[in-house]
Amino acid sequence: MKTISIDHLARVEGNGGLSATLDGKVVTEVKFTVNEGPRLIERLTIGKTPEEDVSLAPRICAICTLSHKNAVLRAMENALGVKVPMKVTLLRELMHMGEFIESHSLHTFYLALPDYVGFPNAIAMAAKFPFEVKIALEMKQFGNHIMKVLSGRYIHGENPIIGGFGKFPTREELIWIKNRAIQFMPFVFRTVELFCGLDYPSVPEAETVYACCEPGSDQYGLWGEEIILSTGEKFFRDDYRKLTNEFVVPHSFCKRSRYQGNTYSVGALARVNVLGERLQGEAGRMFKKYFNARWKINPLFHNAAQALEILYAFERIPELVDEVLKYPDDPAPVPYQVKNGQGTGLVEAPRGLLIHHYEIVDGLVASVDIITPTAQNAEEIERYAYLAAQKLLDDGQEEKIRDRMELIVRAFDPCISCSVHMAEIKKSPAENWKARLRELLLAEPIFIGLGRRGHGDDEAGLTLAALLKKDGFKEVYLEEEFEEDHILEKGVGRPLVFLDIVNMGERPGKIALLPLQHVFWNSVLTHRLLPDVANRLTHEQIKRSYILGIQPQSIEEGAPLSEAVGQAVHRIRGIFLKEDRRRLAEATDSFQEKDPPFDQREKRQHES
Amino acid sequence: MDQPKLKIGIYELTGCAGDALLIIDCEEELINIFKAADIEAFLMAKSDNRHGELDVALVEGSVSTEKEKEELLDIRKRAKVLVAIGNCACVGGIQASFLDRKEWEKNLKKVYGNVDFTHNKPAHSQPIDAFVHVDYYLPGCPIGKEQFLSTFARMLGGNPPELYRFPVCVECKWNENDCLLNKNILCLGPLTLAGCGSVCPNHNVPCFGCWGPTEEANWTSEYYLLLEKGFDPELIRKRMANYAGTRIADFFAPFRKEKR
Repeated sequence: MKTISIDHLARVEGNGGLSATLDGKVVTEVKFTVNEGPRLIERLTIGKTPEEDVSLAPRICAICTLSHKNAVLRAMENALGVKVPMKVTLLRELMHMGEFIESHSLHTFYLALPDYVGFPNAIAMAAKFPFEVKIALEMKQFGNHIMKVLSGRYIHGENPIIGGFGKFPTREELIWIKNRAIQFMPFVFRTVELFCGLDYPSVPEAETVYACCEPGSDQYGLWGEEIILSTGEKFFRDDYRKLTNEFVVPHSFCKRSRYQGNTYSVGALARVNVLGERLQGEAGRMFKKYFNARWKINPLFHNAAQALEILYAFERIPELVDEVLKYPDDPAPVPYQVKNGQGTGLVEAPRGLLIHHYEIVDGLVASVDIITPTAQNAEEIERYAYLAAQKLLDDGQEEKIRDRMELIVRAFDPCISCSVHMAEIKKSPAENWKARLRELLLAEPIFIGLGRRGHGDDEAGLTLAALLKKDGFKEVYLEEEFEEDHILEKGVGRPLVFLDIVNMGERPGKIALLPLQHVFWNSVLTHRLLPDVANRLTHEQIKRSYILGIQPQSIEEGAPLSEAVGQAVHRIRGIFLKEDRRRLAEATDSFQEKDPPFDQREKRQHES
Repeated sequence: MDQPKLKIGIYELTGCAGDALLIIDCEEELINIFKAADIEAFLMAKSDNRHGELDVALVEGSVSTEKEKEELLDIRKRAKVLVAIGNCACVGGIQASFLDRKEWEKNLKKVYGNVDFTHNKPAHSQPIDAFVHVDYYLPGCPIGKEQFLSTFARMLGGNPPELYRFPVCVECKWNENDCLLNKNILCLGPLTLAGCGSVCPNHNVPCFGCWGPTEEANWTSEYYLLLEKGFDPELIRKRMANYAGTRIADFFAPFRKEKR
């Protein structure tokens, strides 16, 4: 067993790491760790007034400070029933554009590009790309300038307040911003051509679900009242928990999110994939020119999508300034009465969907929930890093794994200060085993239930196997009916999955899908068959075999199956049934369109 | 110019990374900064970081995990001069506002449940001078560009930095703003360290105290002044505590005695 680990990811914002554990030819685990300590922002914002939280919450992160500001303002204004005038909305959008330009140009040119042209950092890169480095710096400075004019300073500006602004920018300042934006256009085109034309490696490529804000009225935009998924589903802002379902993993202070058990991506690539068709003007033309099917499956295209959004922002700024100038009078902040209520604010931060939710009781904030983009992407980062590491290992390119994983993490533009996100846990943590089991099911494995009857939880594996047999799954066997030679013949080229209890030192009923190798190392075997079978399996087969294990409560002779383990058995069975229905539905669909692939035809026969 | 270049390391502990980002935001000066000194370590900006002896270490963020404590002790050993940059490093930041360790533990449990973290142990947030000797404090949330560049330039010449020791009110007067306290707005300018250029009062927004307290802050006087103006005592205490980190203990101590 060998670990490739990057303790301190360089050129990302904040302090995080990534590690992959290799076991011969199998990547057994990839972990994205967040080393920044917990700050408990969601707790220390409780008991404060709404105005104080507008100041405190953006301190989560310096890089997306104005996204947090916009999100907390939108949430508070929803909670307090404040409607801001058009001029304020437009200026807030302008401010947001400033942050996008600042963040995207920093990420694309300074953090990501050095990898693709072979330099350790942007300063070293300046020798070969002096023009790009210099103008990108000016572009970033321009973004900072917009943020400073509107929010008061580069980072953590306090000018945007509930109901409006403390002070409005002058006409001259706005016209300067507009003219400067137009001056940048030639370089902006060059940026898009550079990043859309980069040679992105094809590892890793895999489908995923993308999520972003629905700006409404068929526009491209950076906030909205709904969340839209690449599957077409939409949620109203207050229903965001249907998407996010946060949980905690022991190896990171960053909370995780999954949608219906699957990982999902947020960020520039998500926005371009979901809303790209709506881009107008030059950004629309560039989208048509460069967008292709690879954007949908390759996370490295985050860089290209960010370049496209830089163009979008530069086109939007003159429009916004023209609109703002139609309102010569500066409205005073909208007055409001502090009342009880709840509010959610949805905003697209540069690196993805950002959600703030507050509840106000008796004038003070009573509960806070903040879901940051990096917290949502954490699982995707691990998944793509895992896919890449495994593919490179299969291709005998182990030496490339480290750099490639770093490339992937960086493409997601993780903001690690943001990801240290604290919410109260409302649900028990979801587990990685579901997604891994689904992936495994595609390889048509053979399942073997192991155990002893009448020994408490020890019969769980047998119970599960018996249930699955009853449900009509073919390749499921019980230990006692099993001929050892038979399994070896059947098992050639297919994974073996043993259903058993495993003592992991966890709470009873905890489920884990462990590589068989892992189990041998942490020897916890109680059964006769497993070592026998394992001894006769080839090295290759062992690598492909797993144990789907449940943490037992008691294996005392004569004890009944414990409740926790019984529930775990049914949870696993649920995944099998759901996956089977899904595959059947797919097979039926494709059968109507064209001849189904051979394996699905076989499946249909089996079902009938 | 035979003189060897100064070796400088910039480190981030727990925080929002804003101070490191501000250094990157010194766009025009950034390239000169990298030329003028040997930047030995700066994770946010470069991937070839070294771990050798340093002339100056700039440390951002509070100590909020066990690993960070070790890292900080290691930095201190290697550095001749250690500068705390930003509110989190100087006073502990907003995350240090759970003064009571028990309260912090309770909140940690509420947030993460009973997960036993494998990779790193969380620690009660503390400013860095709780563990090591700090030579200079560069305050701010985030630090100010002007103050950072002047400090950096002075250190290149081997001189100690010259930092403001007076409150925001002084800068506010320089900027000829109307006093917000006179308008009955809860402003923390009198307690807060200057250097930001009184940016919030310039925008008609009261000071939230984000640069942390001045050395000579007269907490009691401000407290009674605000009470006279009719603000809720609880509100005043919370507002004062938001960005004061562990320094707020100086102010709370007499109240604790009163309660007893």
